[in-house]
Amino acid sequence: MNTTLAVFKKELIDALRDRKTLIAVLLSSVLIGPIVLVILSSIISDIESRAEKREIYAVGIEHAPTLANYVARQTYTIKAPPTDFEEQLKKSKFSNPVLVIPKDFEEKLAKGEAPELELISDSGNRNASVGVRNISSLITGFGRERSALTLASRGVAAATLKAVDLDEKDLANANARAAQFTGMLPFFLISAILYGCLNAALDTTAGERERGSLEPLLTNPASHLEMVVGKWGAVASVGILIAVMSALSFFPAQWLIRSESLQAMFQYGPKEALTFIAVLVPFAASLAAVLMAVAIRCKTFKEAQASNTFVILAVSMVPLVSVMNPSGEQPWHLVVPGLAQNLVMTRVLKGEPLDAMVIAVPTLVCITITVACLLFIAHSLKSAAVK
Amino acid sequence: MIRVTGLAKQFTAGKGKNKRTVQAVCEVSFEARDGAITGLLGPNGAGKTTTMRMIAGLIAPDQGRVEVDGIDGHAEPQKMLARLGVLSDARGLYPRLTARENIAYYAQLHGMSNAAIDGRIATLANMLDIGDLLERRTDGFSQGERMKTSLARAIVHDPQNLLLDEPTNGLDVLATRALRVALRGLRDAGKCVIISTHIMQEVERLCDHIYVVSHGTVVANDTVDGLKLKTNERDFEEAFVKLAFDQAEAHA
Repeated sequence: MNTTLAVFKKELIDALRDRKTLIAVLLSSVLIGPIVLVILSSIISDIESRAEKREIYAVGIEHAPTLANYVARQTYTIKAPPTDFEEQLKKSKFSNPVLVIPKDFEEKLAKGEAPELELISDSGNRNASVGVRNISSLITGFGRERSALTLASRGVAAATLKAVDLDEKDLANANARAAQFTGMLPFFLISAILYGCLNAALDTTAGERERGSLEPLLTNPASHLEMVVGKWGAVASVGILIAVMSALSFFPAQWLIRSESLQAMFQYGPKEALTFIAVLVPFAASLAAVLMAVAIRCKTFKEAQASNTFVILAVSMVPLVSVMNPSGEQPWHLVVPGLAQNLVMTRVLKGEPLDAMVIAVPTLVCITITVACLLFIAHSLKSAAVK
Repeated sequence: MIRVTGLAKQFTAGKGKNKRTVQAVCEVSFEARDGAITGLLGPNGAGKTTTMRMIAGLIAPDQGRVEVDGIDGHAEPQKMLARLGVLSDARGLYPRLTARENIAYYAQLHGMSNAAIDGRIATLANMLDIGDLLERRTDGFSQGERMKTSLARAIVHDPQNLLLDEPTNGLDVLATRALRVALRGLRDAGKCVIISTHIMQEVERLCDHIYVVSHGTVVANDTVDGLKLKTNERDFEEAFVKLAFDQAEAHA
């Protein structure tokens, strides 16, 4: 026990004195979530304000008084785009799609020939693409009104044109809609812990070997398992510190959210923060053990970094399973580290209820992994020291 | 006192077709008394470091036995290590910790109390002349400063037995002299000191008894004068070359 404590204290001091690394990790982990949230909120509020403005940009509207009349009745205002709008759209400087109306619009409309309208946008320009749907539904509406009038003037019921009725109903509640935007936050949290633990984990294993301090360390009459537990404790503490700080960092982030609807939808209170921490603490602890177990076999820090790339990749990519998998949540997701934490956090953000199982199962998996890794490291310590 | 009987160790190197076994140590037996400096002298690759590592319990021997003050290293490794101070080939310090913290860390691992640690570090600072270094971080220490700090760390628990692997490696004249003074002091205090080296000068100036190791076997043992006499050489270096290389070739 004394050994564990001595090793723990030493490793923690050592890790905390590695200021540059620590500051870089803390800053990035604590700031990344809020920054993403703020950027998202400004994008969403921009989209919202555009929707509220009810403006469309069109060229040649003077050729189409009928259309202008319809658009005005839908309470939209029509504006003229800058002359070089195509160039600006390409460069993402102009963020609205532009409707181009031919000179013979009214003439063709009167003859019953469908005039050709152009809607110019750039799919690489995200903001402009968002407006496309708006305009095209506006034009469809105009078309429908025209044909209904034509049919009515010939005594045909407009309903014959519409054999089927489609009503869009969005089942997602406000929280679920917000989760579409905040869905990437768990990924950032998991990555923050991963990169936060990495340096300390490598330093206490491969780093110790590279420095030539592992061999003398083992000439002390201390139990290897106790030493390993001490080392792991320090690395896990760094990971947990980062987990807690990044989970708490969403509080101040909330105040900075510009979009009112996102603010209303992003429900993140003390209860949510505590659930995040409860899920992330065992995860950080097991991640520390896994990174150390991979690194202990490596002779240098560099080699350990390369070997751990696999772990990093797996942990960062695993949450994608839930995105790609069309069948949605599966019971086995709960036993996959990374995926399980992602799942629970996503549920919390969506405001869905949690049962004890979704906390207990991943925690149990993390504990098992930690114990197995620690035993493995203790077993490998001696052979690692002298190779 | 350290007694080593019939130590042997084989390593396998390479993989697949290139796989080969290397007999690092064939048969090493010796006894190092208390109050004496015993030297393991041998050329590079003679098996000195492997022998030292087996004594320190870092590698398990294929055969043979290590006893430290009568404690069997295999049966009671931790009890044995408590009576042993090891300055191994690798002597890395923690660069972000001060010299004092580096030394105190090992003392804690030996289960010493804080009061005892402070007292012991004061004694060691005096003995090894490292008072000025204690509060500095070891990052940027010179070779000599590193060696002294590592030595202090190795003997912080005041062990009866001391194992030093190539202690003068990379040291300048002054640092080497300071180390010699320190080692003689330990010997005079009744400690059992073993040093392994390939440097004749060190052996001539320090060792009370010498074991010449060649190709993993002890080929001769005596005092410096005794070895010279045995080989009919006035120069110790000539005597060593005769013992370590000629005899080994005769063996082969």
